[in-house]
Amino acid sequence: MVSLAFLQSNAIADLLNNTEWGFAVAECFHIVFFGVAIGTIMIVDLRLLGLAFPRVTSAKLHHDTWAYTLIGLTVTVLAGMALFLSAPRMYSLSGWFQFKAIALFVAILYNYTVHYKVASSSPSPGVGVAVGAISVLLWVSVVVGGLFIGLLA
Amino acid sequence: MSLYSVFESIQSTSFMTWVEQTPWVYPIIMATHLSCIAVFGGMILMTDLRLLGLALRDQSIAEVVGGLRPFKRIGFVIMVTCGLLMAGSEAPTYYPNPYFWTKMTLLLLVGVHALVFKPIVYDHPEELDKSPVLPTRAKAAAVLSLVLWVSIPVCGRLIGYYEPDEGKAKTPQTVTNR
Repeated sequence: MVSLAFLQSNAIADLLNNTEWGFAVAECFHIVFFGVAIGTIMIVDLRLLGLAFPRVTSAKLHHDTWAYTLIGLTVTVLAGMALFLSAPRMYSLSGWFQFKAIALFVAILYNYTVHYKVASSSPSPGVGVAVGAISVLLWVSVVVGGLFIGLLA
Repeated sequence: MSLYSVFESIQSTSFMTWVEQTPWVYPIIMATHLSCIAVFGGMILMTDLRLLGLALRDQSIAEVVGGLRPFKRIGFVIMVTCGLLMAGSEAPTYYPNPYFWTKMTLLLLVGVHALVFKPIVYDHPEELDKSPVLPTRAKAAAVLSLVLWVSIPVCGRLIGYYEPDEGKAKTPQTVTNR
């Protein structure tokens, strides 16, 4: 708890907790850039699932979207860390926050390992569907976890 | 009958009462609403960026617009349905909230945007691909769509921050964390 006590008092927490719009602005960045990240990932997933872009390979789509995904995830995670620092003790004790943090870690790890490798190759339809479906489930889990942190706080 | 009375009547229907009071129903509707915003809102952003030539440049505009259209439509219908259920189940609480009304106005403008630009931009993506320079109307459609679709989730989030002035408020409670 010593580290959390240290985190509880920080410049970002001061900014977010003691200004009228600090927390709201950070949340808006968190949400909008998450949309950018997940939207680009879903474009590749739709191709892997065989539901869209039949004339384009998943490798091509991945190549065209990866930069937006990276920018989206980076801003989302940075804004999310700022939100966490506004009340680290409260978030750490939230079961839904723990769920979201684990889901996000797994989703990012999956995105840059399995998803990257399969999307960059020419996967068989079965493999593509499986990898795309797991990706969709992981990212929706992150959304759900994030929502319930606030809803059930 | 005032608009506020209409809002109260909507909330007091047995269905809306069920939505509000049954455990997990409201959270599930909200989770669906937000998941759709994240997934399909992201697709709208990417379509707009493609129109502006800022993303997916190796794909034709027709492929991006046509390929994502059915998903955006399905997502929009689910998103709006869930949003109506959420607003209806707490209608009097939303009534004094300026961010709620701003969001409704923006959604109305999305309809206007579709009416104006669908016939001259989105229904003819092949023409845009053939054009050496992207027509101004297509750029305008993309920029306005980006502004609208970034503003809508922002206003949606800000709904939860509104605390009515007790002297003027119709209801004592606020929409917390929503």
